[in-house]
Amino acid sequence: MTGTIFDFNGSKDAGWSQPPPISHDAIKSIPESMRRKKLPEWPRASEPELVRHYTQLSQKNFGIDTGFYPLGSCTMKHNPRLNERIVQHPGIDRIHPLQPESQVQGLLAIYYEMQEMLAICSGMDSVTLQPVAGAQGEFTAIRCIQEYHRERGEGHRDKVIVPDSAHGTNPASASMCGYQIIEIPSASDGRIDLDALRSAVGDDTAAMMITNPSTLGVFEPEIAEAAEIVHNAGGQMYYDGANFNAILGKTDPGRMGFDAVHYNLHKTFSQPHGGGGPGSGPIGVKEHLSKFLPTPLAGRYEAKDGDSLVGDGYWYHWISPERTIGKVQQWNGNAGAVVRSWAFYRRYGRELERMSEHAVLNANYLRHVMMNPDPELDIHAMPLEGCPADVVKHEFTLSMSPLKEANGVTGKDVAKRLLDYGYMAPTLYFPQIVPECLMFEPTETESKEVLDKFAQDFHAILAEDPEVVLSSPHTTPVGRVDEVWAARNLILRYNKSQEQS
Amino acid sequence: MDQLPNLGREQEMLEIMGLKSMDDLFDDIPEKIRSEGPLPLRAPQSEEEIIRDAQKLLGANVNLDSRPSFLSAGLARNFVPSMVPMIATRGEFLTSYTPYQPEVSQGMLQAMWEFQTMISELVELPISNVSMYDASTSAAEAITCAVRVKSKKVEKPNTVFISELVPPHRLSVIENYTQGVGIEIMKLPHGSDGLLDLEMASSAFGSCAVYVEQPNSFGILDEGLMRLREIVGEKTAIIVGVDVTTLGLIEPPGNWGADIVVGEGQPFGIGPTAGGPIYGIFACTKDFLRLMPGRIVGQSIDTNGKTAYTLTLSTREQHIRRHRATSNICSNETLIALMGAMHMALLGPVGLEQLSTRVLASTIQTMNEISSLEGVDLAFPDSPVFREFAIKIPGLARDALSHMDNLGVTAGFDLGNWWGDKSSWILVGCDERTSESDISALKEGLSSWMEALE
Repeated sequence: MTGTIFDFNGSKDAGWSQPPPISHDAIKSIPESMRRKKLPEWPRASEPELVRHYTQLSQKNFGIDTGFYPLGSCTMKHNPRLNERIVQHPGIDRIHPLQPESQVQGLLAIYYEMQEMLAICSGMDSVTLQPVAGAQGEFTAIRCIQEYHRERGEGHRDKVIVPDSAHGTNPASASMCGYQIIEIPSASDGRIDLDALRSAVGDDTAAMMITNPSTLGVFEPEIAEAAEIVHNAGGQMYYDGANFNAILGKTDPGRMGFDAVHYNLHKTFSQPHGGGGPGSGPIGVKEHLSKFLPTPLAGRYEAKDGDSLVGDGYWYHWISPERTIGKVQQWNGNAGAVVRSWAFYRRYGRELERMSEHAVLNANYLRHVMMNPDPELDIHAMPLEGCPADVVKHEFTLSMSPLKEANGVTGKDVAKRLLDYGYMAPTLYFPQIVPECLMFEPTETESKEVLDKFAQDFHAILAEDPEVVLSSPHTTPVGRVDEVWAARNLILRYNKSQEQS
Repeated sequence: MDQLPNLGREQEMLEIMGLKSMDDLFDDIPEKIRSEGPLPLRAPQSEEEIIRDAQKLLGANVNLDSRPSFLSAGLARNFVPSMVPMIATRGEFLTSYTPYQPEVSQGMLQAMWEFQTMISELVELPISNVSMYDASTSAAEAITCAVRVKSKKVEKPNTVFISELVPPHRLSVIENYTQGVGIEIMKLPHGSDGLLDLEMASSAFGSCAVYVEQPNSFGILDEGLMRLREIVGEKTAIIVGVDVTTLGLIEPPGNWGADIVVGEGQPFGIGPTAGGPIYGIFACTKDFLRLMPGRIVGQSIDTNGKTAYTLTLSTREQHIRRHRATSNICSNETLIALMGAMHMALLGPVGLEQLSTRVLASTIQTMNEISSLEGVDLAFPDSPVFREFAIKIPGLARDALSHMDNLGVTAGFDLGNWWGDKSSWILVGCDERTSESDISALKEGLSSWMEALE
């Protein structure tokens, strides 16, 4: 097995080769008492050792490039390598956010184009690209809504409504703004319960946060009615854009009645997930919220003859919204993610609709083949649909409860066994309203053959000796990891004295 | 359309499902909210065409390496070893999600556990998470975390004192993160020498936390901060924002009483990237562990007793605790932290010390040469500095910077943008790559502007 990086203990006197300092004795400017007494115990390794160390680590990591990654709610689509090539350009990698506008016309033009595109796709009026993750987008939009209410003298509105099937970030983000959370139950089919909503709203309602399609992958047909209920109570409607991949060009949050929306560029627009980030979570808002957006936004005006540095006839500049909430990230957001997503958008242009069509086609197809196994197979128990819908959108849920009742095999066991077959597991136990839930999202970038084979392997697991499934995974770099042991022992860093096993 | 493997096979798949057309997949969307017609956007492009446009647009930007540049103000014009982007963007790292399935995510988990260790060693605190979004959100969430831990134990609950020199853009992030949860932000004043006024700092006694930066916004290394513990007492958390590059030479805050250390990790791992993606570091003592934000990797064992790694203490997080979570953060900056880990490992302890020494040497050399110009005054001539120093010039900083921009020199940052009374102040930023010829260009530029004034 690979040891840790701290096993490398080369020369004590050498580090990464660097040119000499441009002057000597600079250290004398620092008072003796401030100087570091003992250097950090970092590894002492050469480049060849480190390249091999990290390559070997990468081989113990599963990505979309490795295999099918049907992780529901995360939109694990292919990440085009063009994106990575473009962000190595010094015109983005070697740019400082405080450079004068004249030095970043190209970047501003890309920001402007992305703001416009995202506004069009969502039916919103203004967009900021500053929030650097979906959760931060939620936080930013709720901050704008908070200032909107305060300006209207309705700062007493202190409640935010979320369905019980909402992503955990929704209540967490609203709570960070100081709001109390009202969780309303879903109807028995997993959809929004309008009666529950009616009894939850009141003159203390600041906003409702909801995603559509829902976390069950099903479109909420009564979303416009829900928006009307919230608006009539004086609240604002917030659209969690985690599931935006399902609807581009088919409908948009503006038409559904939303006032604010966040986008996940790392889901819908192919910014790589990078093992947990970076993300990018721009938000779009309707006109009445625009003046509260974080500063700055990209703007433009027609340039005088020959003044347009990017050659499109415009001069680009930063603008500060009239009553801006200020900043949520200290610069202009994850510009690198914006540029990658711009490259992705350019591939599709007005055909972004095809992307959503194929995401939905693949989800429905996978659901169909998974729910229709070869009758010859001796399957112990078929899962139940998480939501009885004729068609789903980009993802769907299955309840493994029947299998658990039949022979004790849980959703988690099936998920772990899928790892043995060379797949990433689906999202596990979310939404919590579906018992033994597995959530699948194939995305538009998987072929029919992959989906067919996955369904076949899933059925094979359902027909397998339960003991094999219960003790899985068997072929992964390590067996099932003991999370309780980790939480009990809390070994959160390397310690030489402990001599790791 | 080269991204869609099932293009042209829609009918075949629809028929298997018993559907007729793609429209059948969307007939659950009520008529009244359906889009009318295609999206009013541009035509699709091929990869070739996108590269052509990208080169044109990004080529219109003036990159920092193309000319003498002294713009820093919180980000570093660093040098990143070639290995870092090449190995960090291996597909297995780049295209993986948060490691919720540890059995097939050991690579990233171990790399992050090693990252935690290197950050812990760097700042001399026992705990580190796997990154925050940037220095500003790291500082903001350190403050909310400290309030959660300390509020019931101190005389001034919900009160935090922060240095008045925290720059406005970072302060704004802190205000957005603290305004809703009832935290009162008080300011700690600095003297005319740019150093924290230690006498006034005693007013923070009994509060939840103090937040100070080392070096501060003027690049000043403030020895007085090392006495903060005796001034604010044992109960108040000390949060220190650092320039990580100083720590090859400067005593880490963990050794002089800091409870939480935050900062921009960017000098290790990635270029300034127009401000993101970068990553914030967050390290703390054990007292803050259970109420801190962000993801943490712990060592564990698998069913065979073999060493393995997994995310731990997840019960603090939003996907479990929902509105009672310690933070809403989930996606963080893992891949950039991985780049940071690689860069730190390549440097090694000695390489870190050399890097710090180079930045310090560039700063001192530039400062000595620029301050020798008649008409240019150092704003704080008696305080030690790192990476940056402030100068006062006979006129508007804006005009001088624009003059030098026209000469092909990016001469620094106009401090009037942060503080209205400092419109004739320039913050000059140096780094390990500052050369003698860069300094000459800056000097000549400044001289020629001053000559033109006469």
